[in-house]
Amino acid sequence: MNSNVDSADHAVQNSDSMVRFRVENIRKEFTNVVALDNVSLELRTGEVVGLVGENGAGKSTLLNILSGIYQQDQGHIYVDGDRVSITNPRMASHQGVAIVHQEHNVIPNLSGYENLFLEQFPDYSTAGVLDSDTLKREGAEILSSLGIDLDLEKRVANYSFSDRQMLSIAKAFTETVHTDHPIILLDEPTAGLEEDGRDLLFDRIEDLRDQASFVFVSHELDEVLEISDRIYVLRDGKIVNHFEQENATEDKLQQSMVGREVSEEYYQASDQRDVENSEVALTVSNLGNEGHFEDVSFDVREGEIFGICGVMGSGKSALGRVLSGVDAADTGELAIDGTAVETGSVHRMVNQGIGYVPKERQSEGTLLYQPLRVNVSLPSIGTDLVADRVPGLGTVPWLIDFEKEDEMAEDIVERLNVKTPSIESPLINLSGGNQQKVVLGKNLQREVSVLVMDNVTRGIDVGAKEEVYRILRQLADDGVSMVFIADELPELIGMSNRIGVMHEGELVDVVDSPPGDKPMESELIRKMI
Amino acid sequence: MSEETSGNPVVDWLGEYRKNRSVTDLLVDLGPFLMLLILIAVFTATSEVFLTYDNLVGNVMMNSMILLFVALAGTFPILQQSIDLSVESIVSLSGVITAILINDYQLGMLALLLGILAGTGVGVLNGVVFAKGKIPSFLVTLGSLSIFSGSALLMTGGYSVPFNAPGIRQIAIGNTIPQVPNLVVWGLVVYVLVSLMAWKTTFGRYTYALGENERVADFSGVNVDRYKIGAFVVSGTLCGLAGVLLTARISSATPGMGSGLLLQSIAAIVMGGTALTGGVGGPHRTILGVLVIGVLTNGMNLLGIQSFVQEIILGFVVILAVAMSMDRDKIDIVK
Repeated sequence: MNSNVDSADHAVQNSDSMVRFRVENIRKEFTNVVALDNVSLELRTGEVVGLVGENGAGKSTLLNILSGIYQQDQGHIYVDGDRVSITNPRMASHQGVAIVHQEHNVIPNLSGYENLFLEQFPDYSTAGVLDSDTLKREGAEILSSLGIDLDLEKRVANYSFSDRQMLSIAKAFTETVHTDHPIILLDEPTAGLEEDGRDLLFDRIEDLRDQASFVFVSHELDEVLEISDRIYVLRDGKIVNHFEQENATEDKLQQSMVGREVSEEYYQASDQRDVENSEVALTVSNLGNEGHFEDVSFDVREGEIFGICGVMGSGKSALGRVLSGVDAADTGELAIDGTAVETGSVHRMVNQGIGYVPKERQSEGTLLYQPLRVNVSLPSIGTDLVADRVPGLGTVPWLIDFEKEDEMAEDIVERLNVKTPSIESPLINLSGGNQQKVVLGKNLQREVSVLVMDNVTRGIDVGAKEEVYRILRQLADDGVSMVFIADELPELIGMSNRIGVMHEGELVDVVDSPPGDKPMESELIRKMI
Repeated sequence: MSEETSGNPVVDWLGEYRKNRSVTDLLVDLGPFLMLLILIAVFTATSEVFLTYDNLVGNVMMNSMILLFVALAGTFPILQQSIDLSVESIVSLSGVITAILINDYQLGMLALLLGILAGTGVGVLNGVVFAKGKIPSFLVTLGSLSIFSGSALLMTGGYSVPFNAPGIRQIAIGNTIPQVPNLVVWGLVVYVLVSLMAWKTTFGRYTYALGENERVADFSGVNVDRYKIGAFVVSGTLCGLAGVLLTARISSATPGMGSGLLLQSIAAIVMGGTALTGGVGGPHRTILGVLVIGVLTNGMNLLGIQSFVQEIILGFVVILAVAMSMDRDKIDIVK
């Protein structure tokens, strides 16, 4: 541990406010991986404590231990100075600890009040019959005490994303209603929230400080800085730093998360290729997909990164799905190097040299329980790249040459700097950033001339993002054309040569984004809305 | 990447294994082995005849082979997270077709080939309706189960079709290799080929990928429909082979000759370690489940256990073996 933490400990001992919750020297090991090592932190009454760290740093593991989903191998948890054991989620809520998961622990086909009291149904039933009136009444009371406004009679399926989150927060308070000052763990609470929802959330947290203490986990450092009184930084399973709000800056947090200074030129824009004189690789003419977008035309040159931005529902993701072959176009044409390509079939598109990095890494990009090797080679199986040779028959595409396959996997691990115990490790054992590198890597084996990416850095940490950017710059140098769909504008602006702006299903503008003269975010936002 | 090697391949392999697999994985990998060893130990202790060459090859192996074909067949759809419920009706249908072609049309050996192809054909039907029609395989094959067995009944009028063709009978029970019945040779050859197919070919690899996450395979450019149909074609073909060899063995076919094989084959597949949720296991493991059932049935026969009681015991052992071989870590919710 470094001196920063020691001095912080001192400060805490001298502080007047009560320590509500404390964990000491927590250690957790999974198969051959130390996920948490000697982690200590504390939470005072009414405090909001930020917890930041890269993917795989141990944030989720820690939250899972505190909320009773995992058990620590070593270390102790204290509530109000008393040592407690939290061996399951019920025990956690009994001790006043509740978690609000990123994916909101609500059941869509039940109503709001049923969700709110789900765990307490037995207490509200007579002979197995649920006393709905009491639930509704008490639910309304809880909501009003929290200052949250929701229609509890509606089915949760009809709730907006932001409402679901508010319900989850109310549920956390309901579960711990017997304690007067619960400890609420918020796991990536702002992920997927629009700006209004975020503001509402922050208002609620501020207001509820006198009723609860919060642990706030997020990738969005500016948000952590805004809301937290103190911030802990996790790296490789250890608390490496600890900041009071007034001493913390985004740069300092990033540095201690990554363990080094984040390169000044994050997006490596100076490496951006000049594609003025390159050949056109991808031609999109009058492309349309009914209900999503229409009459979209643009072209992408060799080695060019063509960014696409737009608000949700602008048609940008739908465009990505058509460009990659997942959906078929109703109108218009798509051509690679002048040859028309039929849309609506990914395998046909792959054979024409298109690679696709889908938006949902876990459900669309990775075979989580298969080894890294199998994931990397998946698009190449059945091609000469991994075809075995049989004496007398020559190359047989339907037989796999395991040696070639191993080499391919080793090559990706080395080129993209994937951190993995071995190429035989199932991807589930890798962190999100490393999984994403595999998803990128598997697209690089075949002759890919166009790479379509939908939010390629989504949910991965600063260090991994920087590496992904470096890889993309390399690909551009190799002449790969890229369609770069992204929600994060700084990234989009930093990476793209040109940016297409989608608005209500139309490509309303294409903005140049040369190095040294990048467009302003505000300029793009104006066009997007 | 770590490149240290100890020079000893076994040590290296174990090291690699430990790095990637947990203790539960080890249990899953060894579960059916342990079950088999326990059964062998029990029957060796209780029966003098059990551990003799004649019993092990002539009875256990010989009587397990048809189940082996059917269980290998069913492994492919299950690996893809689909299921083929029509396996036993394909056995009956191809058996009946073979017998009729031999008996009524004097096609001889050609009838065997046509019988297998009949299995292939109905497999194509299953696969196309399932993959192209986007109808769950459970329902497609539940329907075709009825269609195929109804057809077998219709072709035979419900009667058995015996034939007199000693040459054909020899294909199953002859001893081309001394002391080893041909049926056992067929079984082992097919077992090796099918295991290689799952391990070494494009089709095999895609089968695992489809079983774990079809969308990922699709987005990676795999021609998903082709390989989904393929699994049912393989299944149909192997069931056709099972029907043909069973017919050859008993020189007769009945429209109900496959009955009971569906449940036993699913039990064998799952016991072997192929999860109904797809993506893990494989035909190379299915043989373990088949042998557990084969050894258990044989042992109980030797001990003179009444056949009704045998069924009850078999049920218990299946549940126990599945409990031992299932990796619950990867399954959050069991329904």
